[in-house]
Amino acid sequence: MQSSFDLQYIIELMPILFKYLGVTMEMALWGFLFALILALGLALVRVFKIPFVQYIASLYISFFRGTPLLVQLFLLYYGLPQFMPIFIGMDAFTAAVVGLSLHFSAYMAESIRASIIGIDKSQMEACLSLGMTRLQAMKRVILPQASRVATPSLMNYFIDMIKSTSLAFTLGVAEIMAKAQMEASSSFKFFESFFAVALIYWVVVLFFTRIQYLLENRLNKAY
Amino acid sequence: MNTFFKRTLIALVAVSSLLTVPAFAQQTVKVGMSGRYFPFTFSQKDVLQGFEVDVWNEIAKRSDYKVEYVTSTFSGLFGMLEAGHIDTIANQITITDERKAKYAMSDPYVVDGVQITVRKGRDDIKTIEDLKGKKVAVNLGSNFEQVLRKYDTKNEINIITYDSGLEQDVALGRADAFIMDRVSSVQLIKKAGLPLQLAGQPFEKIENAMPFLNKPSQIAIRDQVNKALAEMRADGTLAKISDKWFDSNITE
Repeated sequence: MQSSFDLQYIIELMPILFKYLGVTMEMALWGFLFALILALGLALVRVFKIPFVQYIASLYISFFRGTPLLVQLFLLYYGLPQFMPIFIGMDAFTAAVVGLSLHFSAYMAESIRASIIGIDKSQMEACLSLGMTRLQAMKRVILPQASRVATPSLMNYFIDMIKSTSLAFTLGVAEIMAKAQMEASSSFKFFESFFAVALIYWVVVLFFTRIQYLLENRLNKAY
Repeated sequence: MNTFFKRTLIALVAVSSLLTVPAFAQQTVKVGMSGRYFPFTFSQKDVLQGFEVDVWNEIAKRSDYKVEYVTSTFSGLFGMLEAGHIDTIANQITITDERKAKYAMSDPYVVDGVQITVRKGRDDIKTIEDLKGKKVAVNLGSNFEQVLRKYDTKNEINIITYDSGLEQDVALGRADAFIMDRVSSVQLIKKAGLPLQLAGQPFEKIENAMPFLNKPSQIAIRDQVNKALAEMRADGTLAKISDKWFDSNITE
């Protein structure tokens, strides 16, 4: 191709994309919050082996880990409203947050469960011998230790989630990927547009990697 | 139920019934478009614009509608229409028998032809016959794939679907040709600065319109849109909008 790299265009595009970075981050943060709550519930259900519910949790995890995020988003946004009209009211942004939460909660549940069962069994036994209930022991002794172990992998999922929000453009959410595509379709500067988006994701991820480092330091203080 | 809860409930019902009463509120019509189809619908410096936007702003003005533009990938637009997320699609939707059977289509507002475009300097492709054994790019969800299949009864054309960027792949030589309507092919070549050229004459007439769901509430909007389009055609507004973007009248 004869066209040359247009740095000026990237500089002009950046402020436009930055305006929509908020949408991307909002999706990631809400998605992560709901995913974390869901994942903790799922992990506890499986650790405590709650009758019947644990099989539902396993089925849930199996489905949401076993199917692509894009397919889940399409099912939610384009599929469900055909059968349940109540879902017509769900806008694209909400659908994306719900989809991200459901999808990532399945992965995160497993990594939370792994960090809980990684804490030596003798600690739970000691708590029970002191008269604590299993839930109290979990809250006071096991979870604080497990959270330290789980932090690196949960942060990994968060970073993955930030990048996965780019799929929301397929639902029509006006986030940075969608904007880059739309600007590229009239300027025809595809490389510059997508390069600008890549740079933004990269910088954001670097920022959160730094936060992860600080958070881990803090959690490791006692050790 | 305690009294506080009861009172709050009554207050809420009262307020919400007040809110829903105003009968003179403007009806909002959600119009879906890709925002990725120059010069029909595209974004430049974060402003959504183009032929479709101008046409709909005019329809809304004449119909006292409030128009809300919803942008999504082209292949997602029909899903959004089916799911009720949007009322119609303004994205050069070609009238086909299948679409006529399924949707309440508006009157056509653009008339065009199907065009083959190739990399500059290629003269081995002139007609649809020449596409046999070649890689031919079409946009995902567009009807150009069906148009090709109609001629290609023996399945000899290697059709590749793209969500965006097909002109890039033809210019790069990854695909041999792309199929689009003539008007946007001409615009694309002019604007993209890519080494592309039209190959031969358009081989099929196409008429583009807006699809609505076959429901009384949606058909009512469709009828209003038809009325506005007829007015715009009669007083020359439609031709003027076409002139602005294409330097020619593509509406008849």
